[in-house]
Amino acid sequence: MRELARTVEKLCEASKRDYLNPYVQLEWPEVLDAEQWFTSPELLSIYGTERYERLSEAEKKRLSFYEAVNFFSLNIHGEKSLIEGLARRLYKRNYGQVSRYLHHFLDEENKHMVYFGEFCTRYAGKVYPEKKVVFPRDYEPGEEDFLFFAKVLIFEEIVDVYNVKMAKDARLAPIARQINFLHHRDEARHLVFGRRLVKELFDRYAPTWSEETLQGVRDYLKGYLTATWKEYYNPEVYQDAGLAAPFDIQESAFHGERGREHRRRISKGGLRYLLENNLLEEEPSL
Amino acid sequence: MKTEAEIRRALREWIVQTNGKIRPEELNDETPLLERRILSSLQVMDLILFIEKLSNKFIDVEQLKAGVFRDIHAIYRNFFESSGDPEVRG
Repeated sequence: MRELARTVEKLCEASKRDYLNPYVQLEWPEVLDAEQWFTSPELLSIYGTERYERLSEAEKKRLSFYEAVNFFSLNIHGEKSLIEGLARRLYKRNYGQVSRYLHHFLDEENKHMVYFGEFCTRYAGKVYPEKKVVFPRDYEPGEEDFLFFAKVLIFEEIVDVYNVKMAKDARLAPIARQINFLHHRDEARHLVFGRRLVKELFDRYAPTWSEETLQGVRDYLKGYLTATWKEYYNPEVYQDAGLAAPFDIQESAFHGERGREHRRRISKGGLRYLLENNLLEEEPSL
Repeated sequence: MKTEAEIRRALREWIVQTNGKIRPEELNDETPLLERRILSSLQVMDLILFIEKLSNKFIDVEQLKAGVFRDIHAIYRNFFESSGDPEVRG
Protein backbone atom coordinates (compact mmCIF):
# COMPACT_ATOMS: atom_id res chain seq x y z
CA MET A 1 0.00 0.00 0.00
CA ARG A 2 2.90 2.35 0.81
CA GLU A 3 4.39 1.77 -2.65
CA LEU A 4 1.03 2.55 -4.25
CA ALA A 5 0.77 5.78 -2.22
CA ARG A 6 4.25 6.84 -3.40
CA THR A 7 3.34 6.06 -7.01
CA VAL A 8 0.11 8.07 -6.67
CA GLU A 9 2.05 11.04 -5.28
CA LYS A 10 4.50 11.03 -8.21
CA LEU A 11 1.78 10.57 -10.82
CA CYS A 12 -0.30 13.44 -9.42
CA GLU A 13 2.71 15.76 -9.73
CA ALA A 14 3.35 14.59 -13.32
CA SER A 15 -0.32 15.10 -14.27
CA LYS A 16 -0.26 18.66 -12.89
CA ARG A 17 2.97 19.38 -14.79
CA ASP A 18 1.60 17.98 -18.10
CA TYR A 19 -1.88 19.51 -17.75
CA LEU A 20 -3.17 20.50 -21.19
CA ASN A 21 -6.11 22.05 -22.96
CA PRO A 22 -7.34 19.67 -25.70
CA TYR A 23 -9.18 22.49 -27.48
CA VAL A 24 -6.01 24.42 -28.31
CA GLN A 25 -3.42 21.67 -28.48
CA LEU A 26 -4.27 20.34 -31.92
CA GLU A 27 -4.54 22.03 -35.31
CA TRP A 28 -7.35 20.47 -37.29
CA PRO A 29 -6.97 20.61 -41.09
CA GLU A 30 -10.13 21.55 -42.99
CA VAL A 31 -9.83 18.42 -45.11
CA LEU A 32 -7.58 15.40 -44.85
CA ASP A 33 -5.06 14.56 -47.53
CA ALA A 34 -6.12 11.21 -49.00
CA GLU A 35 -2.51 10.66 -50.09
CA GLN A 36 -1.45 10.17 -46.49
CA TRP A 37 -1.63 7.30 -44.03
CA PHE A 38 -3.73 7.54 -40.86
CA THR A 39 -2.76 4.17 -39.39
CA SER A 40 0.69 2.66 -39.85
CA PRO A 41 0.27 0.08 -42.64
CA GLU A 42 1.88 -2.67 -40.52
CA LEU A 43 -0.81 -2.12 -37.86
CA LEU A 44 -3.74 -2.47 -40.25
CA SER A 45 -5.89 -5.44 -39.27
CA ILE A 46 -5.51 -7.17 -42.63
CA TYR A 47 -1.85 -6.25 -43.23
CA GLY A 48 0.12 -9.16 -44.66
CA THR A 49 -2.95 -11.01 -45.92
CA GLU A 50 -3.57 -11.90 -49.52
CA ARG A 51 -6.54 -9.50 -49.55
CA TYR A 52 -4.30 -6.64 -48.41
CA GLU A 53 -1.69 -7.34 -51.06
CA ARG A 54 -4.34 -7.07 -53.77
CA LEU A 55 -5.30 -3.52 -52.72
CA SER A 56 -3.94 -0.50 -54.57
CA GLU A 57 -1.93 2.10 -52.64
CA ALA A 58 -4.96 4.42 -52.61
CA GLU A 59 -7.21 1.65 -51.25
CA LYS A 60 -4.71 0.84 -48.52
CA LYS A 61 -4.61 4.49 -47.48
CA ARG A 62 -8.41 4.69 -47.49
CA LEU A 63 -8.51 1.62 -45.26
CA SER A 64 -5.91 3.22 -42.97
CA PHE A 65 -8.28 6.19 -42.49
CA TYR A 66 -11.24 4.01 -41.46
CA GLU A 67 -9.05 1.87 -39.22
CA ALA A 68 -7.94 5.09 -37.48
CA VAL A 69 -11.60 6.02 -36.99
CA ASN A 70 -12.21 2.54 -35.56
CA PHE A 71 -9.17 2.77 -33.26
CA PHE A 72 -10.29 6.16 -31.96
CA SER A 73 -13.89 4.86 -31.60
CA LEU A 74 -12.67 1.91 -29.52
CA ASN A 75 -10.84 4.36 -27.30
CA ILE A 76 -13.96 6.48 -26.88
CA HIS A 77 -16.01 3.47 -25.78
CA GLY A 78 -13.27 2.21 -23.49
CA GLU A 79 -12.94 5.64 -21.92
CA LYS A 80 -16.69 6.10 -21.51
CA SER A 81 -16.98 3.02 -19.33
CA LEU A 82 -13.69 3.87 -17.64
CA ILE A 83 -15.02 7.30 -16.63
CA GLU A 84 -18.21 5.74 -15.27
CA GLY A 85 -16.23 3.25 -13.22
CA LEU A 86 -13.67 5.77 -11.98
CA ALA A 87 -16.40 8.19 -10.90
CA ARG A 88 -18.12 5.42 -8.91
CA ARG A 89 -14.85 4.68 -7.08
CA LEU A 90 -13.95 8.27 -6.15
CA TYR A 91 -13.63 8.56 -2.35
CA LYS A 92 -14.70 4.97 -1.85
CA ARG A 93 -13.49 3.50 1.43
CA ASN A 94 -10.15 1.62 1.11
CA TYR A 95 -9.10 3.86 -1.79
CA GLY A 96 -7.44 6.50 0.46
CA GLN A 97 -4.85 8.48 -1.47
CA VAL A 98 -5.81 6.82 -4.75
CA SER A 99 -8.81 9.16 -5.09
CA ARG A 100 -6.43 12.08 -5.59
CA TYR A 101 -5.11 10.44 -8.73
CA LEU A 102 -8.57 9.36 -9.90
CA HIS A 103 -9.36 13.07 -10.38
CA HIS A 104 -6.47 13.34 -12.86
CA PHE A 105 -7.37 10.03 -14.48
CA LEU A 106 -10.97 11.21 -15.03
CA ASP A 107 -9.84 14.60 -16.33
CA GLU A 108 -7.36 13.09 -18.77
CA GLU A 109 -9.72 10.42 -20.07
CA ASN A 110 -12.36 13.06 -20.78
CA LYS A 111 -9.82 15.12 -22.71
CA HIS A 112 -8.82 12.11 -24.79
CA MET A 113 -12.43 11.64 -25.84
CA VAL A 114 -12.53 15.30 -26.93
CA TYR A 115 -9.87 14.78 -29.60
CA PHE A 116 -10.82 11.21 -30.53
CA GLY A 117 -14.44 12.31 -30.95
CA GLU A 118 -13.44 15.40 -32.92
CA PHE A 119 -11.43 13.34 -35.41
CA CYS A 120 -14.19 10.75 -35.90
CA THR A 121 -17.09 13.18 -36.27
CA ARG A 122 -15.23 15.87 -38.23
CA TYR A 123 -13.72 13.56 -40.85
CA ALA A 124 -15.87 10.40 -40.86
CA GLY A 125 -19.14 11.88 -39.61
CA LYS A 126 -19.50 9.10 -37.06
CA VAL A 127 -18.11 7.05 -34.21
CA TYR A 128 -18.30 3.29 -34.77
CA PRO A 129 -20.67 1.72 -32.21
CA GLU A 130 -19.21 -0.71 -29.72
CA LYS A 131 -20.13 -4.38 -29.69
CA LYS A 132 -19.27 -5.25 -26.10
CA VAL A 133 -22.24 -5.74 -23.79
CA VAL A 134 -22.19 -6.19 -20.03
CA PHE A 135 -24.82 -7.98 -17.96
CA PRO A 136 -25.08 -7.33 -14.22
CA ARG A 137 -24.03 -10.18 -11.92
CA ASP A 138 -22.92 -10.81 -8.34
CA TYR A 139 -19.26 -10.58 -7.28
CA GLU A 140 -17.16 -11.78 -4.37
CA PRO A 141 -15.51 -9.02 -2.25
CA GLY A 142 -12.94 -7.10 -4.30
CA GLU A 143 -13.68 -9.05 -7.48
CA GLU A 144 -15.56 -6.28 -9.28
CA ASP A 145 -12.93 -3.62 -8.50
CA PHE A 146 -10.13 -5.95 -9.52
CA LEU A 147 -11.81 -6.87 -12.81
CA PHE A 148 -12.60 -3.24 -13.56
CA PHE A 149 -8.98 -2.08 -13.25
CA ALA A 150 -7.56 -5.24 -14.85
CA LYS A 151 -9.78 -4.74 -17.92
CA VAL A 152 -8.70 -1.09 -18.15
CA LEU A 153 -5.08 -2.21 -18.01
CA ILE A 154 -5.47 -4.91 -20.68
CA PHE A 155 -7.21 -2.45 -22.99
CA GLU A 156 -4.65 0.33 -22.43
CA GLU A 157 -1.62 -1.93 -22.81
CA ILE A 158 -2.65 -2.74 -26.39
CA VAL A 159 -3.62 0.83 -27.22
CA ASP A 160 -0.33 2.18 -25.95
CA VAL A 161 1.75 -0.06 -28.22
CA TYR A 162 -0.22 1.32 -31.17
CA ASN A 163 0.13 4.89 -29.88
CA VAL A 164 3.89 4.64 -29.45
CA LYS A 165 4.44 3.18 -32.91
CA MET A 166 2.17 5.68 -34.65
CA ALA A 167 3.39 8.73 -32.75
CA LYS A 168 6.81 8.05 -34.31
CA ASP A 169 5.62 7.13 -37.80
CA ALA A 170 6.55 9.97 -40.18
CA ARG A 171 4.32 8.47 -42.91
CA LEU A 172 1.19 9.39 -40.95
CA ALA A 173 -0.82 12.60 -41.41
CA PRO A 174 0.33 15.06 -38.71
CA ILE A 175 -3.07 15.14 -36.98
CA ALA A 176 -3.06 11.32 -36.61
CA ARG A 177 0.49 11.35 -35.26
CA GLN A 178 -0.27 14.14 -32.80
CA ILE A 179 -3.35 12.39 -31.41
CA ASN A 180 -1.34 9.21 -30.88
CA PHE A 181 1.45 11.18 -29.24
CA LEU A 182 -0.83 13.10 -26.85
CA HIS A 183 -2.66 9.95 -25.87
CA HIS A 184 0.54 8.06 -25.15
CA ARG A 185 1.82 10.92 -22.98
CA ASP A 186 -1.06 10.44 -20.52
CA GLU A 187 -1.42 6.69 -20.95
CA ALA A 188 2.17 6.09 -19.88
CA ARG A 189 1.13 7.38 -16.43
CA HIS A 190 -2.15 5.49 -16.42
CA LEU A 191 -0.28 2.25 -17.15
CA VAL A 192 2.11 2.79 -14.23
CA PHE A 193 -0.89 3.42 -11.97
CA GLY A 194 -2.86 0.48 -13.39
CA ARG A 195 -0.02 -2.00 -13.05
CA ARG A 196 0.55 -0.99 -9.42
CA LEU A 197 -3.14 -0.94 -8.45
CA VAL A 198 -4.12 -4.18 -10.22
CA LYS A 199 -1.34 -6.09 -8.45
CA GLU A 200 -2.29 -4.51 -5.13
CA LEU A 201 -5.97 -5.49 -5.56
CA PHE A 202 -5.11 -9.01 -6.70
CA ASP A 203 -2.70 -9.62 -3.79
CA ARG A 204 -5.26 -8.26 -1.34
CA TYR A 205 -8.40 -10.06 -2.55
CA ALA A 206 -7.42 -13.17 -4.53
CA PRO A 207 -6.44 -15.14 -1.37
CA THR A 208 -10.00 -14.60 -0.07
CA TRP A 209 -11.70 -15.93 -3.23
CA SER A 210 -12.84 -19.50 -3.75
CA GLU A 211 -10.95 -21.62 -6.28
CA GLU A 212 -13.96 -21.38 -8.58
CA THR A 213 -14.01 -17.55 -8.43
CA LEU A 214 -10.27 -17.33 -9.05
CA GLN A 215 -10.59 -19.61 -12.08
CA GLY A 216 -13.59 -17.57 -13.27
CA VAL A 217 -11.58 -14.35 -12.96
CA ARG A 218 -8.69 -15.81 -14.96
CA ASP A 219 -11.02 -17.15 -17.65
CA TYR A 220 -12.74 -13.78 -17.84
CA LEU A 221 -9.44 -11.91 -18.32
CA LYS A 222 -8.46 -14.25 -21.14
CA GLY A 223 -11.87 -13.82 -22.76
CA TYR A 224 -11.68 -10.07 -22.36
CA LEU A 225 -8.30 -9.93 -24.06
CA THR A 226 -9.64 -11.88 -27.05
CA ALA A 227 -12.82 -9.79 -27.20
CA THR A 228 -10.75 -6.59 -27.12
CA TRP A 229 -8.68 -7.79 -30.04
CA LYS A 230 -11.75 -8.79 -32.05
CA GLU A 231 -12.90 -5.18 -32.08
CA TYR A 232 -9.80 -4.25 -34.08
CA TYR A 233 -11.21 -6.37 -36.92
CA ASN A 234 -14.36 -4.43 -37.69
CA PRO A 235 -16.41 -5.46 -40.77
CA GLU A 236 -17.98 -1.98 -40.91
CA VAL A 237 -14.51 -0.56 -41.46
CA TYR A 238 -13.94 -2.87 -44.43
CA GLN A 239 -17.31 -1.92 -45.89
CA ASP A 240 -16.64 1.82 -45.45
CA ALA A 241 -13.24 1.37 -47.09
CA GLY A 242 -15.04 -0.08 -50.11
CA LEU A 243 -14.01 -3.72 -49.64
CA ALA A 244 -16.49 -6.42 -50.66
CA ALA A 245 -17.46 -9.34 -48.39
CA PRO A 246 -16.53 -7.55 -45.12
CA PHE A 247 -17.53 -10.46 -42.84
CA ASP A 248 -15.31 -12.88 -44.74
CA ILE A 249 -12.40 -10.44 -44.51
CA GLN A 250 -12.95 -10.13 -40.76
CA GLU A 251 -13.00 -13.87 -40.25
CA SER A 252 -9.97 -14.70 -42.33
CA ALA A 253 -7.88 -11.80 -40.98
CA PHE A 254 -8.69 -12.62 -37.36
CA HIS A 255 -8.14 -16.37 -37.68
CA GLY A 256 -5.14 -16.23 -40.02
CA GLU A 257 -1.63 -16.97 -38.74
CA ARG A 258 -0.42 -13.43 -39.47
CA GLY A 259 -3.22 -12.03 -37.30
CA ARG A 260 -2.32 -14.32 -34.39
CA GLU A 261 1.35 -13.48 -34.67
CA HIS A 262 0.56 -9.74 -34.74
CA ARG A 263 -1.65 -9.98 -31.64
CA ARG A 264 0.97 -12.02 -29.77
CA ARG A 265 3.64 -9.45 -30.60
CA ILE A 266 1.57 -6.43 -29.58
CA SER A 267 0.25 -8.13 -26.41
CA LYS A 268 3.69 -9.34 -25.30
CA GLY A 269 4.36 -6.68 -22.64
CA GLY A 270 0.88 -6.82 -21.15
CA LEU A 271 0.88 -10.62 -21.09
CA ARG A 272 4.26 -10.70 -19.38
CA TYR A 273 2.85 -8.53 -16.61
CA LEU A 274 -0.26 -10.74 -16.21
CA LEU A 275 1.81 -13.93 -16.08
CA GLU A 276 4.61 -12.64 -13.84
CA ASN A 277 2.09 -11.43 -11.27
CA ASN A 278 0.14 -14.70 -11.38
CA LEU A 279 -3.00 -13.00 -12.67
CA LEU A 280 -2.89 -15.55 -15.44
CA GLU A 281 -1.32 -18.98 -15.14
CA GLU A 282 -0.88 -19.63 -18.84
CA GLU A 283 -0.68 -17.61 -22.02
CA PRO A 284 -4.09 -17.38 -23.70
CA SER A 285 -4.38 -18.43 -27.33
CA LEU A 286 -4.81 -15.20 -29.18
CA MET B 1 -30.50 -16.82 -48.41
CA LYS B 2 -30.89 -19.33 -45.59
CA THR B 3 -34.23 -20.76 -44.48
CA GLU B 4 -35.59 -20.27 -40.97
CA ALA B 5 -34.73 -23.89 -40.07
CA GLU B 6 -31.15 -23.46 -41.31
CA ILE B 7 -30.70 -20.25 -39.32
CA ARG B 8 -32.06 -21.78 -36.13
CA ARG B 9 -29.82 -24.83 -36.60
CA ALA B 10 -26.76 -22.61 -37.22
CA LEU B 11 -27.51 -20.66 -34.02
CA ARG B 12 -27.90 -23.87 -31.99
CA GLU B 13 -24.64 -25.28 -33.32
CA TRP B 14 -22.78 -22.03 -32.62
CA ILE B 15 -24.07 -21.88 -29.05
CA VAL B 16 -23.18 -25.52 -28.32
CA GLN B 17 -19.70 -25.01 -29.74
CA THR B 18 -19.13 -21.70 -27.93
CA ASN B 19 -20.35 -22.98 -24.56
CA GLY B 20 -18.29 -26.13 -24.87
CA LYS B 21 -20.15 -27.96 -22.07
CA ILE B 22 -23.82 -28.10 -23.02
CA ARG B 23 -24.90 -31.11 -25.12
CA PRO B 24 -26.97 -30.46 -28.30
CA GLU B 25 -29.97 -32.35 -26.86
CA GLU B 26 -29.98 -30.03 -23.79
CA LEU B 27 -30.56 -26.94 -25.94
CA ASN B 28 -33.86 -26.05 -27.59
CA ASP B 29 -35.16 -22.76 -29.00
CA GLU B 30 -36.69 -21.76 -25.64
CA THR B 31 -33.67 -22.55 -23.44
CA PRO B 32 -32.78 -19.33 -21.53
CA LEU B 33 -29.24 -18.51 -22.70
CA LEU B 34 -28.24 -15.77 -20.28
CA GLU B 35 -30.31 -16.74 -17.27
CA ARG B 36 -28.77 -20.23 -17.33
CA ARG B 37 -25.34 -18.73 -18.07
CA ILE B 38 -25.00 -20.73 -21.26
CA LEU B 39 -23.49 -17.56 -22.76
CA SER B 40 -21.42 -14.93 -20.92
CA SER B 41 -21.49 -11.22 -21.74
CA LEU B 42 -18.18 -11.57 -23.61
CA GLN B 43 -19.59 -14.42 -25.69
CA VAL B 44 -22.60 -12.26 -26.57
CA MET B 45 -20.19 -9.96 -28.38
CA ASP B 46 -19.13 -12.96 -30.49
CA LEU B 47 -22.78 -13.87 -30.95
CA ILE B 48 -23.47 -10.39 -32.32
CA LEU B 49 -20.69 -10.85 -34.88
CA PHE B 50 -22.06 -14.29 -35.76
CA ILE B 51 -25.60 -12.93 -36.21
CA GLU B 52 -24.25 -10.09 -38.38
CA LYS B 53 -22.52 -12.57 -40.64
CA LEU B 54 -25.52 -14.90 -40.78
CA SER B 55 -28.01 -12.08 -41.50
CA ASN B 56 -25.58 -10.03 -43.62
CA LYS B 57 -26.62 -6.92 -41.66
CA PHE B 58 -24.81 -4.80 -39.11
CA ILE B 59 -26.35 -4.64 -35.63
CA ASP B 60 -26.59 -1.34 -33.81
CA VAL B 61 -25.95 -2.43 -30.24
CA GLU B 62 -27.22 0.90 -28.87
CA GLN B 63 -30.68 0.11 -30.27
CA LEU B 64 -30.97 -3.35 -28.72
CA LYS B 65 -33.82 -3.91 -26.30
CA ALA B 66 -33.77 -6.11 -23.22
CA GLY B 67 -34.49 -9.76 -23.94
CA VAL B 68 -33.24 -9.92 -27.54
CA PHE B 69 -30.72 -12.64 -26.61
CA ARG B 70 -33.03 -14.46 -24.17
CA ASP B 71 -33.23 -17.63 -26.28
CA ILE B 72 -32.87 -18.78 -29.87
CA HIS B 73 -36.49 -17.95 -30.57
CA ALA B 74 -35.97 -14.33 -29.45
CA ILE B 75 -32.76 -14.06 -31.48
CA TYR B 76 -34.52 -15.30 -34.61
CA ARG B 77 -37.51 -12.99 -34.11
CA ASN B 78 -35.37 -9.89 -33.47
CA PHE B 79 -32.62 -10.30 -36.02
CA PHE B 80 -33.88 -12.47 -38.85
CA GLU B 81 -37.56 -11.78 -39.38
CA SER B 82 -37.68 -9.12 -42.10
CA SER B 83 -36.75 -5.74 -40.65
CA GLY B 84 -36.17 -3.71 -43.78
CA ASP B 85 -32.61 -2.87 -42.64
CA PRO B 86 -30.15 -2.56 -45.53
CA GLU B 87 -28.00 -5.57 -46.30
CA VAL B 88 -24.23 -5.38 -46.35
CA ARG B 89 -22.63 -5.12 -49.77
CA GLY B 90 -20.64 -7.95 -51.21
